[in-house]
Amino acid sequence: MAFAIEFFLRRISQGLVIVLLVAFVIFTLLRIVPGDPIRIILGPMTPASVLEQTAKDLGLRDPILVQFGRFVGQVATGDLGRSFIRGLQGGSAGGSQDAAGYNPESRASVAELIGTALPYSLQLAGLGILFALLVAVPIGMAAGLRAGKWPDRLGLYVSSLFVSLPNIWVAVVLIFLLSAKADLLPAIGYRGFSYTIIPAMVVAIELSPVMIRAISVSVAANLGEIYYDVGMVRGLSRWTMIFKHVLRNAAVPLLNLFGAQMIGMLLGGLFVVEYIFSYPGVGMLTINAVFQRDFPIIQAVAILASGALVAINMLVDFTSTTIDRRLKF
Amino acid sequence: MISTRRTFLAGATALGAGSLLIGPGRIGRALAQDASTLIFAAAGTVTSSWDPSSHTIAPQITAEALVFGRLTKCLMKPENPGEILPDLALEWKLIDKYTLEYKLRQGVKFHDGKDFKAEDVKATYEYASQPSRPASAWYPGQVEVEIVDDYTVRLKTEKYGYPALNFWYVSSFLPILSAKDVADPNVLKQRPNGTGAFRYQETKGDQIVFKANADYYDGKPQIETLLWNYVPDANTRVLGLLNGQYHLTERLEPEQFESLKKEANVTTDKGLSSENKYLHFRCNKPPFDDVRVRLAAVHAIDRDQILAIVGEAGQASNCHISPVKFGYTDVPDYPKFDPEMCQKLLAEAGFPNGQGLPELEYITSVGFYPKTREYGELVTAMLQEQGFNVKLTTLEPAAWEEQIYRRADGQGPGHIIDVGWITGSPEPDLVLRPNYYSKFALINGVNDPEIDASLDKERNAESTEERLKVLQEETLPLLAAKVPSLSLYSSVFLRAMSNKLQGAYFYPNGPIDLSKATLG
Repeated sequence: MAFAIEFFLRRISQGLVIVLLVAFVIFTLLRIVPGDPIRIILGPMTPASVLEQTAKDLGLRDPILVQFGRFVGQVATGDLGRSFIRGLQGGSAGGSQDAAGYNPESRASVAELIGTALPYSLQLAGLGILFALLVAVPIGMAAGLRAGKWPDRLGLYVSSLFVSLPNIWVAVVLIFLLSAKADLLPAIGYRGFSYTIIPAMVVAIELSPVMIRAISVSVAANLGEIYYDVGMVRGLSRWTMIFKHVLRNAAVPLLNLFGAQMIGMLLGGLFVVEYIFSYPGVGMLTINAVFQRDFPIIQAVAILASGALVAINMLVDFTSTTIDRRLKF
Repeated sequence: MISTRRTFLAGATALGAGSLLIGPGRIGRALAQDASTLIFAAAGTVTSSWDPSSHTIAPQITAEALVFGRLTKCLMKPENPGEILPDLALEWKLIDKYTLEYKLRQGVKFHDGKDFKAEDVKATYEYASQPSRPASAWYPGQVEVEIVDDYTVRLKTEKYGYPALNFWYVSSFLPILSAKDVADPNVLKQRPNGTGAFRYQETKGDQIVFKANADYYDGKPQIETLLWNYVPDANTRVLGLLNGQYHLTERLEPEQFESLKKEANVTTDKGLSSENKYLHFRCNKPPFDDVRVRLAAVHAIDRDQILAIVGEAGQASNCHISPVKFGYTDVPDYPKFDPEMCQKLLAEAGFPNGQGLPELEYITSVGFYPKTREYGELVTAMLQEQGFNVKLTTLEPAAWEEQIYRRADGQGPGHIIDVGWITGSPEPDLVLRPNYYSKFALINGVNDPEIDASLDKERNAESTEERLKVLQEETLPLLAAKVPSLSLYSSVFLRAMSNKLQGAYFYPNGPIDLSKATLG
């Protein structure tokens, strides 16, 4: 118990520093790259003097550190701010040039926008991971159990094939084949659960190669461990050894991989997949926000994403230590 | 492996849960809609204000065209760009130089039930033409509206010093609002309320829902529901059309258009637009403040090669306005590719073979117009060949948009800017004044008294015939001689739709008339 408390306290404080750093980097980068959001908020033909005045009123002309300080203060109170671009009904919008009528209160709250989009992304991510596991566990285990034999080669071929397919291409091909030609599934937008299936396949194809390799290597390594032979000598069946001991031990590197690599891949993959499928999740929201220079949304998503990464890594490490007590993080 | 009762139950539960989640009948062509719902995959979307006078954003103008009526309508067909048809006005005539009279249609209702009358025209025109309104650029100037009776109005321009004839074409582009809404700007912003074929129902995230207007003066549209889906990715729009989820999409790339032509269930449509693509020179800083350097640059550019790259998305035109605009003419001395002339002009300007010219930045976009990056590289190479030291900067749309217009100090970034200009009326001044009149010259910053005088002369003409003559014989040739910008070509809009969709009319600036459309 004491270990758990110490572990979480230490990791949460480290995590906060990481999130703060990420937020600062994103915040600064957004304000350095070309593309002044005020021109997008108010529209291209707005007189320059009005642009400057509105930018000043919104605090966009203060030094970056001042802006960042104000932003952190806001976030600390749980306020992620309001979108520059999106109206109260959540609709994406070009700029309104009505400088006199521009009122930040008429724009959607970032927390609500993310709150609306997040369940869709979680559903897609969950189904994607499920599909990836359905493919990767049997192939990876078979490959690990028969190292050097045909299942091992099959695992290698499948993962090599999947890893070399760009997800944009896979997405377009799957929509074309499964939706446009075969008419099996809908693909674009979201009007029901079935709209998640093809995007989830694309996510799964991206995730499964790493899983297959990790499972097969880890299972094969455990089969070579002395405890496996000892168990067999003591009369335990091969399947008992595999399901009770090998799988449990093989899960630790897989969990680590999940925390360190897959969540990052998943996040990146979701952005691209949601955009192609016009799937109304956080990825789509973010990509549109980048195109529209909607700083508050980009910042909030960056903070949430880095927070999620930190939290998942923390949980993964904690779970690893409960599986294998020798581990210390 | 033997299956036990427990594993069987677990499996059955998982299957059951799975099918519950997916639900019966969801898979498959659940997406197919009934024949009265049209789904439009739009490349752009609207602003957060529904007040038409608050913006000049093309996709919102397209959305407003569904909802609002106008006094007149112009189909802007290239064979007869000046044709004017009745909409909310049935007759119009010029009373004197400063007075234009419209007789209004009776029995028309706004979507909120209010009767359409002369007071609405007065409220709209007097409100939206105020210089403080962001879209007042569409108006030739401020205007007074006299109510003769409930169904007769007179536009009066004498107080503001320009001829009323300037409204002749523009009135087909200016949406008519309800006087009740104009009195309450907050209501005006929240929802559009017009007299058009479709009424606005709601916005759900990136989807806008429009419903057929049962009281539309020309009959209730057959399409009951129109779903406007904002789909920013062009490939997604095409795939959605192929799998039957969308019925109509716009702004296709030439390659997509080519491949869609072969699809059995899809009809393609291309139409000359009211947009020209330009290379604007920043005329208020060296070296393009010298007309000889501008002319040298345009003589270095072979527009035929650009058109070869743009393919079906462009049409050759030798004029600073599109062929669907009033006044278009094939300007006889429009600058042509002529390397010798280029060198001669460079030498005259004091830069023989380009020596002594500063480094020039050419700013263009990628992902907004077709092929800008590709022909940007070509133009850069052509200019370099003649000795111009040009650097191409390619930006994604948001960053590019920020670089287009001149800043508070009058200067804009870079030296050459690639941009298009699209407006929804045959009125040429919607292009010419914002771009070439020194008071505006929003992008190129040209300040030339001769151009100003010529633009004033055509604006002040007292008859359409006289105006046409001034435009074709003086103003447009003068722009070709002074080239504050080079018009590269006229854009062709590429669209595709389900072949069930019949009877849609596409305006050259983007709006679509679906009042008579059916979804077979």
